[in-house]
Amino acid sequence: MIKGYLCLVLHGHLPYVRHPEHEDFLEEDWLYEAMTETYIPLIAMFERLSQDRIDFRMTMSITPTLASMLTDDLLQQRYLRHLNRLIELAHKEVERTRWVQGFQELAVMYLNIFVNARELFERYHRNLVSAFKRFQDAGNLEIITCGATHGFFPLMGVVKASVRAQVKVAVANYEKNFGRKPRGIWLPECGYNPGDDEILKESGIKFFFVDSHGILHGTPRPKYGVFAPVYCKSGVAAFGRDTESSKQVWSSVEGYPGDYYYREFYRDIGFDLEYEYIKPYILPDGVRINTGIKYFRITGASDEKMPYEPRVAREKAAFHAGNFMFNREKQVEYLYDALGRKPIIVSPYDAELYGHWWFEGPMWLEFLIRKITYDQKTIKLVTPSEYLAENPRNQVLTPSMSSWGWKGYSEVWLQGSNDWVYRHMHKASNVMTSLAKQNPDTNGLKKRALNQALRELLLAQSSDWAFIIATGTHVSYAQRRTKDHLLRFFKLSEDISSDNIDEEFLKELEYKDNIFPEIDYRAHQ
Amino acid sequence: MKKVAKKPKATEIKPKKKLISKRVVRPRRKAAVVASKHEIPLSDMKAEQAKYYTGITGPSEPYYKRSAVAELEHRQIPARYDEDIIVLQIRDPWWAHSYWDVSSGTANRLKNELGDVFDRARWILRSYDVSCLNFDGSNAHRFFDTSVDFDARNWYLNFGSPGTSWCVDLGITLPDGNFITVVRSNTISLPLDGPSWVTDEEWMIPDDEFRRLYGMSVGLGPNVSSPVGKLWQERLKKDISSRGLASMGVSSPVKKIKEKGNFWLVVDAELIIYGATEADARVTVQDKAVKLRKDGTFTLRFALPDGKQVIPVVASSAHIDETRTITPIVARKTTRNP
Repeated sequence: MIKGYLCLVLHGHLPYVRHPEHEDFLEEDWLYEAMTETYIPLIAMFERLSQDRIDFRMTMSITPTLASMLTDDLLQQRYLRHLNRLIELAHKEVERTRWVQGFQELAVMYLNIFVNARELFERYHRNLVSAFKRFQDAGNLEIITCGATHGFFPLMGVVKASVRAQVKVAVANYEKNFGRKPRGIWLPECGYNPGDDEILKESGIKFFFVDSHGILHGTPRPKYGVFAPVYCKSGVAAFGRDTESSKQVWSSVEGYPGDYYYREFYRDIGFDLEYEYIKPYILPDGVRINTGIKYFRITGASDEKMPYEPRVAREKAAFHAGNFMFNREKQVEYLYDALGRKPIIVSPYDAELYGHWWFEGPMWLEFLIRKITYDQKTIKLVTPSEYLAENPRNQVLTPSMSSWGWKGYSEVWLQGSNDWVYRHMHKASNVMTSLAKQNPDTNGLKKRALNQALRELLLAQSSDWAFIIATGTHVSYAQRRTKDHLLRFFKLSEDISSDNIDEEFLKELEYKDNIFPEIDYRAHQ
Repeated sequence: MKKVAKKPKATEIKPKKKLISKRVVRPRRKAAVVASKHEIPLSDMKAEQAKYYTGITGPSEPYYKRSAVAELEHRQIPARYDEDIIVLQIRDPWWAHSYWDVSSGTANRLKNELGDVFDRARWILRSYDVSCLNFDGSNAHRFFDTSVDFDARNWYLNFGSPGTSWCVDLGITLPDGNFITVVRSNTISLPLDGPSWVTDEEWMIPDDEFRRLYGMSVGLGPNVSSPVGKLWQERLKKDISSRGLASMGVSSPVKKIKEKGNFWLVVDAELIIYGATEADARVTVQDKAVKLRKDGTFTLRFALPDGKQVIPVVASSAHIDETRTITPIVARKTTRNP
């Protein structure tokens, strides 16, 4: 007997990194690696499940920045170039490792991964968004949207027009990509500020997610904890994250990805191999970077690493999937009795952690879905829309301000290293609001300039920049991106106000920051 | 035991009476100076960071050539916008960040009106507890003052009472004790740091049951013993960081392969086999076909482990029935000391 639901949510996001002005660009690798290691393996998994007629359910946010990159011609070409280079390297590796026990089979494994990735990529005409859409259309995947550029709403709230623009532009972009309106949204960083649900409602969004304390500290007290959604006063539903199941996957004590037999993320042949040999596959200026080929398993805390053994890792992934399912069954049985209603366990994760960070993650997910289908009768996979259709009666409360970041609020994005950005962000937001107000109806060059101004503002607002500045890798890039987009925005706004638009300048920005061709600056109101 | 959540705890404080400020305020440095400081323990961030990780640990600046938009290359974001502003933003249930500025027009007006007194005035952030009321400037439940260095232009304020609402005036106190408001902030409502005491008749839940549910929801398990109001603190202490990513048994993204300070050495060996024959000949090395370059040369590269490798290289002519075989035999033995 089905006693409860499991709602798996993957949040797929990368900031907009596209630099047509450079032949090679390091940070674009974020996208290429995530494509090879996360998005393509997920799609391949969906395909296998469909072939085996497994009627699975999963929820996934594909942020507008990510969707825009995945559908961009230039980045698609560059990804193929990147992948071809990797395939060339993997061929060399198969040969090079011929005499080393255990390594050649790994080289062959990587070669197969890359070749299969290329095959899948070409099969979907290089457009992975269309691949994800296929599974949404089949009813297995619920794709939700996110803030247009992943702006962190709680720190944008003093200019609500910017929150509104993040939502409206996202919804328009979703419609373009998926042919219908989004029902749900993943609030960037799960950042909720009471009242933001009203803005979601304006765009027809029916549900969003908050971290557990968003519901638990809501007013009035939630009768079912995080195990049932609630309605905000606006009528938009909020689902609360279950920490227990997250912990199962990520905690240092019980967490699966730290298993000593799983692949070690930080040992990469880009750093391990002889310089002249690896040089064509690292940065053009000769600085070593990761290639994606990694031969070792975590092994233990020390730096001495043992070779990766795919068969053992696979067994571990199957075992961990079984363990996760068992724990969900127990959890659901307990809650079913305690609540007197079928609980929903909401388990959201960063999509990129699956495959990119946790190499075996997609495999684990596939084992989990198959096991849930065949090996038990207590829990059922569900999407939020499906759940709400079956359970329309829910408590009304105001969730508490919260995020899923470190310590649960805004501190990651608001601390000594990055708090300087908000003065400028809010200034730009206010300027954008006035520009939109002063130009309710316009066309030609001015309209283009206004649209571009909104693009620049949105790109500056990505929470990724503040996050990266706070955490310390690629800091100068994140600072530069913040400043560049603000400078471009202010120059455009000056030009628009003085009715003296520099068309060359505008053209160059339209070429570089080409995101959201469908944008309408009037979204910022 | 029922209270209304947002009712301020005004028990010992008479309304409108100035509080002696015991709040701890962290002095702020100028943003530009602290830009590279990492305040979040890196161990808490690994998995989230992984998607931005390329292996580069130093600055990537040389690779990110500056903006090609020529006229912006030398521009910097303005340090100030010549405006009267103070903005308050929530950091967590206890703290908020404020930034402010005063336009030159306002500063001059104050100088003209106050004369010498202006130069001796102290800049103050006056924080008003405006929970559950429409603040008119004089009806706050209580307030406290924080002396600030105007030029810091931003400050973290510890309000210390989750679930309350605050508004801050930036102003000056004159030598006679009078306070002049220069600019007033937006109002913020700090989130609760525990469950609300407000319950809903239709959706009532007994305290004990709620405590169990709470424990399960935040990953502490159903058998928690702490009172409901302390559970969030307990969770924070247990370091179940929000995405639950704390210290997985793997190395940090910014850690080099070897720890600094630990002297180390890595040595490995590879073998290059190369040769040449007729450009259209067929060549195998250890029975595996080799692709020749256009000029008939070939190169193979092997990782060379300890032990003996016998490497027959066989070339067969494309035209006549003839083969040549050359067999290098290579042995590697590695010793370590110590």
